[in-house]
Amino acid sequence: MAQATLARARPGAGGPPSGAPPKRRRRAGWLLLLAPVVVFDVLLFLTPLGKLIGSSFTGGAYARVLADPLVTRSLVNTLSIALTSTAVTVVLGYVIALVLWRSGTVMRVILFAVVLLPFWTGILVKNFAWAVLLQDNGLVNGFLHNIGLINAPLPLLHNRFAVIVGMVHCLLPYAVFPIFSSLAAIDGRLALAARSLGAREAAVFRRITLPLSAPGISAAGLLVFIISTGFFITPVVMGGPGDMMIANEIDYYARQLTDFPGAAALAVILTVLVSIIAAVYQRVLKAGGQHETL
Amino acid sequence: MKRFSAPRAGIRRKPLSLLSLPVFAFLVVPTLIVVPVALNNSRYITFPPDGISLAAVQGFFADPAWTSALSASMQAAAIAVVLGVVFGASAAIGLHGRKFPGQQAVVGLVLAPMIVPTVVLALAFYQFFISVGLVGSIVPIGLAHAVIATPYVYLTTRASLAGLNPALVRSAQSLGAGTLSVFRHVHMPVILPGLISGALFAFSVSIDETVMSLFMQSPGATTLPVKMFTDIQFNLTPKIAVSSALLVTVATIGLLIQVVYVLKRRSTARMMPLAA
Amino acid sequence: MSTPTIAPTARQPGTATARKGAIELRQVRKTYGEVVAVDRLDLSIQPGEFVTLLGPSGSGKTTTMMMVAGFEEHTSGSVMIDGAPVDSLPPRERNLGVVFQNYALFPHMSARENVEFALRMRRVPKAESRRRADDALDRVGLAGLGGRKPRQLSGGQQQRVALARALVFNPAALLLDEPMAALDKRLREHMQEEIKALQKSLGISVLFVTHDQDEAMAMSDRIVVMKDGRIVQSGPPEEVYNHPVTDWVASFLGDTNLIPATVISREGGEAVVDLGGLGAGRVRDRGARGDKYAVSIRPEHLTFRVAPGRENSGTGELVSSTNLGATIRHRIMAGGRELQLRELSSNGGAAGQPAGATVHVGWDADKAQLLVLEG
Repeated sequence: MAQATLARARPGAGGPPSGAPPKRRRRAGWLLLLAPVVVFDVLLFLTPLGKLIGSSFTGGAYARVLADPLVTRSLVNTLSIALTSTAVTVVLGYVIALVLWRSGTVMRVILFAVVLLPFWTGILVKNFAWAVLLQDNGLVNGFLHNIGLINAPLPLLHNRFAVIVGMVHCLLPYAVFPIFSSLAAIDGRLALAARSLGAREAAVFRRITLPLSAPGISAAGLLVFIISTGFFITPVVMGGPGDMMIANEIDYYARQLTDFPGAAALAVILTVLVSIIAAVYQRVLKAGGQHETL
Repeated sequence: MKRFSAPRAGIRRKPLSLLSLPVFAFLVVPTLIVVPVALNNSRYITFPPDGISLAAVQGFFADPAWTSALSASMQAAAIAVVLGVVFGASAAIGLHGRKFPGQQAVVGLVLAPMIVPTVVLALAFYQFFISVGLVGSIVPIGLAHAVIATPYVYLTTRASLAGLNPALVRSAQSLGAGTLSVFRHVHMPVILPGLISGALFAFSVSIDETVMSLFMQSPGATTLPVKMFTDIQFNLTPKIAVSSALLVTVATIGLLIQVVYVLKRRSTARMMPLAA
Repeated sequence: MSTPTIAPTARQPGTATARKGAIELRQVRKTYGEVVAVDRLDLSIQPGEFVTLLGPSGSGKTTTMMMVAGFEEHTSGSVMIDGAPVDSLPPRERNLGVVFQNYALFPHMSARENVEFALRMRRVPKAESRRRADDALDRVGLAGLGGRKPRQLSGGQQQRVALARALVFNPAALLLDEPMAALDKRLREHMQEEIKALQKSLGISVLFVTHDQDEAMAMSDRIVVMKDGRIVQSGPPEEVYNHPVTDWVASFLGDTNLIPATVISREGGEAVVDLGGLGAGRVRDRGARGDKYAVSIRPEHLTFRVAPGRENSGTGELVSSTNLGATIRHRIMAGGRELQLRELSSNGGAAGQPAGATVHVGWDADKAQLLVLEG
């Protein structure tokens, strides 16, 4: 999904070129190259997933987990946290992509590096850094105290706010890339044309740049939302007891309760839920696309 | 098409740049504070640091719990990189410039591990490896990492193959070259950059992966992120900071390699992982 | 939010009333670091005049246009529109209609919305702007197609939308940047005539940028030939074509015979020259000064003669004759150099002479030009 979404956001990033008519004599040999990956993925990817789905249908697991108030709570948490972080991420990601797009070559490479450093850094490192910054005697509280804005430290860590901060930080690069791709695909002359026709910078942005980068925004939104529903580390490290998401519930069922069917049922519910939302989202976008106007 | 730089000509850029400064700071500052925190003089985590010392670093390397976590991470990453490169690259070459029934299914299968939430995969692997009796070592963790690393190597290799004309392969074959020598003389030079960046990806994916490693951890097979995750829930210690600093250093090296590569190719599009 | 210079006027589009649109460039210079893109250019366009900047890529013609439009800031000098300096005005306040290479139509808007854009930016009421946009589309022959998106229109239709969009707000002048580059030859010739007719009926001044000399010849009141950021020659098309001032201009504007010449005397617009193997010549002289001279004679101005002449003539051997359809191209070795002669096929073709025959050729004094040999 990640690949498909990104590729759609950037025309010309498609797959390998289709070859000339295949030479049947030789083809079998080259198909052998596919054997290792197919065997590997069937054995170690499809089989475990199949077993997981199978086990979810044993012992009335679905009825059991859906009756658990903690599960319904974590489902609500997951949707609310994922939607909030997606919205914030896409807005901030758009700002970054816009600056990247408008930068000269050298600046663009530097700023790309700034975006990519957190991308290359593991989630635990990033969440640890945020915990250091947001804790009671951390940098943020210290700063606010020093300028006399607060007397006692603000509770910045172990709450919903902290979870969203940590998640947005992890998700930002995933929003920047598709948005940047769609901005980069805009013909630069369009802005010149708009200006020659009397548009100010704000009008150029609102009427030209923004609508033409809409595909990137929607691709980013979908990608970020899907990734955000699976967060596990951040709620534990940065959230409070009331901020657990569905992934934490899966962990709880599997490792604390050793209720594998229950955990499997939760995993299936998460996957199905995300797929449904993604499908609806894309259908709504497609319908909206037919009525796009000034 | 013309020499004037269309999108930028005469645009006043200041307001946007100023507005974006806090956003860029938000993005990069947390990653950057990790190193000074690790070099802090104090026994507690503070930022800004009281003073600079290597005490925490020495403490980290003197603690067998942390060094064995580091070694477990390295072993898992080694398995993930080797398997990921072999499977990902062979898939990319096998699929390059070919059309056959079921091709889309193969591509889908290769990419699928990227889109399944890691927590779902973690559960599936956990269940699976228990059922086949392969637990209590680093091997299942390495295998699991290889599964999610393979699509990254596939994508980077495929991107570098995009510049290779399939007719070249066919003409080499028609000149009598065997599969192996076609690979060595036609594919290898083209895909090498893709392989290297794919291997970097695989390493990075494995070294940072937490959820699957957490599910499958055992006394001898606790990776660095798992150790960090466990400790972090009790206290923010300087050793976690050192471990973070190590991982940031690895990330920076990977990033620098990528930047050098981009500057050589002069294409910022290549900085976008996955889409590149 | 008032934009004084571009306030919508009550004037209906299409009524050629008081002519405006004088553009003047004084000593305009543009440098990119060390590179000089445009060097101290002086250019003035009269109201209603169709002026073409003609030159190869890198000659500075597009940069010049972009400076007039306000997209590029000039390093020094001054640009004036209708007598007022516009150097500090952003593009939106210069009131110029611009048609871009590949048109730069907004892909997410219909043809009508594209045309309406400038009016919406000027706060023209919705109903009026819609009416004016439809009028403009009507005028370029696109009545009824206003609802289509650019990608649903052919190349020629897209260009018409671009024209309508650039004209709908009664701009002081029209700037066209290689607008025909994306069209095939037949459509291009058709659009050339249409644009020319539209320009005449509106009485609007046009600054046109192209590298295509046929296009420049067909459309312009005046051609300004540019090379390396400077103007090499400026004048009506026939004059630039028939009387190029340098060998570079002569070659850039079409085929020509360049014969190195030694000047013997020059006075009263005529020069007496020694053309080496071709003997004496008497040719037009526009006073160009240089180290070395040549005479340029277009192939179609060279004609067969029945007998050798005293001057402006030569005798040689017919090397080859190639029928090009409407014309026949002959190659003749005369006076130690190869000459090209082109005549209409209907003339019969070298009076049926076979290759190898001895032929006499000549030219009229006012069709040959003394020019400076640059290379």
